[in-house]
Amino acid sequence: MADSDGEFVADDMSDDDIMDHTVTDGDPNAARPKGSKPAKRKRDRNGGSKAWEQSRRTWETDLPEESDGMLNLAGYEAERRRRLLRDTTPLQRGIIRHLVLVLDMSFAMAEKDLLPTRYRLALSYAAAFVREYFEQNPISQLAIVGMRDGVALRVSDMGGNPAEHLERLREYEGQDPSGNPSLQNALEMCRGALFHAPSHGTREVLIIYGALLSSDPGDIHDTINNLVAERIRVSVVGLSAQVAICAELCSRTNVGDDSQYNVAMDETHFKELFLALTTPPVNRTKEQSTASLLMMGFPSRTLAPGGTSSYCACHSQPCREGYLCTRCGVKVCRLPSECPACGLTLILSTHLARSYHHLFPLRNWVEVPWAEAARSTACFSCQSPFPEPPKANKEKGKDEAAPAKAPAKGVSESGRYKCQVCDHHFCIDCDVFAHMVIHNCPGCQSQSQQAAAAAAPLTDGVEANGNGHTTNGGMMAIDG
Amino acid sequence: MDAVDVSEHYEVTAADNSPSLLSIVLDTNPRAWAALDSSLSLAQAISNILVFVNAHLAFSNANQVAVIAAHVNRAVWLYPALQHPSSTTVKDNSGDVQMHDASAETSLPPPSANKYPQFAQIESSVFSSIQTLMAETTVQDLDQLTTQLSGALTLALCRINKAAQALSSSDTTLSNAAPVNATAPPPVKGRIVVVSVSDSDPSQYIPTMNAVFAAAHNQVAIDTISLAGDSTFLQQACFNTNGIFLKAANPRGLLTYLMFGLIPDTEARASLITPTHDTVDFRTACFCHGKVVDTGYVCSVCLSIFCTPPDNAECLTCGTVLALGNYGAKPAVLPRKKKKKKKIANGSGREETGSATGTPRP
Repeated sequence: MADSDGEFVADDMSDDDIMDHTVTDGDPNAARPKGSKPAKRKRDRNGGSKAWEQSRRTWETDLPEESDGMLNLAGYEAERRRRLLRDTTPLQRGIIRHLVLVLDMSFAMAEKDLLPTRYRLALSYAAAFVREYFEQNPISQLAIVGMRDGVALRVSDMGGNPAEHLERLREYEGQDPSGNPSLQNALEMCRGALFHAPSHGTREVLIIYGALLSSDPGDIHDTINNLVAERIRVSVVGLSAQVAICAELCSRTNVGDDSQYNVAMDETHFKELFLALTTPPVNRTKEQSTASLLMMGFPSRTLAPGGTSSYCACHSQPCREGYLCTRCGVKVCRLPSECPACGLTLILSTHLARSYHHLFPLRNWVEVPWAEAARSTACFSCQSPFPEPPKANKEKGKDEAAPAKAPAKGVSESGRYKCQVCDHHFCIDCDVFAHMVIHNCPGCQSQSQQAAAAAAPLTDGVEANGNGHTTNGGMMAIDG
Repeated sequence: MDAVDVSEHYEVTAADNSPSLLSIVLDTNPRAWAALDSSLSLAQAISNILVFVNAHLAFSNANQVAVIAAHVNRAVWLYPALQHPSSTTVKDNSGDVQMHDASAETSLPPPSANKYPQFAQIESSVFSSIQTLMAETTVQDLDQLTTQLSGALTLALCRINKAAQALSSSDTTLSNAAPVNATAPPPVKGRIVVVSVSDSDPSQYIPTMNAVFAAAHNQVAIDTISLAGDSTFLQQACFNTNGIFLKAANPRGLLTYLMFGLIPDTEARASLITPTHDTVDFRTACFCHGKVVDTGYVCSVCLSIFCTPPDNAECLTCGTVLALGNYGAKPAVLPRKKKKKKKIANGSGREETGSATGTPRP
């Protein structure tokens, strides 16, 4: 290699060669291929670019400029819309989760293809995962296991306190990855950790796998059979390339669904795949969804009388405020927890409310064409002004230009997005915020149910819009 | 005496203070205000709130304010008011905006020399919006007893989110678009002050809680001053978002409550002793009878809460057949042992073999 500069092109290269070596970046409209589909990869090999060539670094995402010098943000908006457009069928999900996060800490994690290193990046995303997991699933449990030096390493035990997991993860930040990973040892440890998980909860394993090998003491197919028998679901996020045993592992433990094995292309994609697992999994078979009725206590927060402090039963520490078990009256200092005296599950009702949006998702909003755009001048929720509809006298010029710059899929040409239930118009920022964070439609919530029904008499789905109370019963479907 | 030396105070370098966005949600339930009229009328309350708003704006030039009304049947912006299509700026052919005099375009009174123009602008906007709101209220609207609180909170949060995005460039990059709870402080210190006069509506529980979690996620505090009524949801909202909940025993002193209890923003609160939540009611209403319970039964599929195990072990919300476990089971009655007739030892049953146990049977 005479020159490591990316722009160096040897004179004797043919045009085809140049095309092969150019990293494709600019076209944001092209759908990103899923790294998981082997068939697709084979197709890509014949023509077009490789999957890893389509990965985009932050410095490669150049925003195209339009003729008048304005940045064309359509691709950027399309990317944001793509993230939040999802299936809004209210599927039955495993809300009470038991998940083991398995982190690869083997030699393969010292690679620097993900910056700063795979190991450092995986640990920092794992911390983000822990926080997000407990925010999305407050009544769930998590454990963390590492794979290094051919053995499985217990990082943190099954528990519901995010601070504990984060503290244990921080201890591993200073250490270096070493040795071979062992998939079988890690899976056997997960099997042990999930053995006591109650039947109404899910049993899940998420593996972050950087290596392309696994040094196992025995036959891993036996372990997979055991996992299937104990209805443990395994998801794998690969960091280097697709491995056959991981694909088999995921598809066998997920009732033939192979979408649980993905290979990350770059940092952003890795984070996206990693954090996608914070959403509760869909129940597919009857065996996965053993429903049961759980007795729970909803204690109120009380102060010890007269400004005194008393000991809590869970940590034996003096504290002034706490929650009294509704059955036996024992004092615990933080929720959710199990009463140390009588074993009753004690939670806040807000913890239950946190999970309702998974069960009753907010419907996607639709794009608004210019023809309908005239009736709104500003976003309903944040009051930021919309672009004005094009004038009639400019119509001719626009018609010629229109096919040239047809907006990307999912992007509204008028910058407006409409809720189909309440017919209000919103901007892209509020669209993202409403669907990703707040899970409420600002328009539907701002008018009473009668008014909403009067405004949109055609839609019978007024009730089902992200509001669990008024949903028409029995509409959660079991997929497949 | 060194302990009281205040010279350290002057060594504190001026930190880069981020702007603070105060959103006020005013509960404008006409029935509740009519009941409260003897001690505090709505007009008095609004003028008190405007003083509070002016005090907030006077802290810093960068501070912003939004006022939202939670009415019986809808939630409406009071300030900034929704602009009507007729009053939008008109562009000429070259794309320039036609300039108008401010007073010619809107029907504002001429600015008074004695008042800071921004204060006057907010005042006139709030007064005119609330007059239109009250004029549009029909008799049928008054049938509802509660207010559209969840909508007002959602609007306020959208506004704070937009303001935060406008001020931070890093948050809008694609790599950060995923909802990750950032530990860094937000670019805007957003908070919501709810002036509540009516009860919480149980049917708004889920949307209200969604808004509360979004507020906690974006580090927005929800403060409440409750003048009347039983606002359980707001109490939980304040607790979850580290906000202040004040129950005004004497509504006439609204301005005092606001100025002494709720003026510090989320950053200043760290160094102040704020009013504490002594007891928070976290009991919940069951889905079957609406009874308030402290111990309930929860469906593991849809998380519905029941006060007693449902009939036929079938969840009333999602229809799933539930494994009841041991709850609600009848105590098992032991069947009384029937006395076995003793065989006569020396009878002709079998021959005496000499061993104590009989021959094992197949």
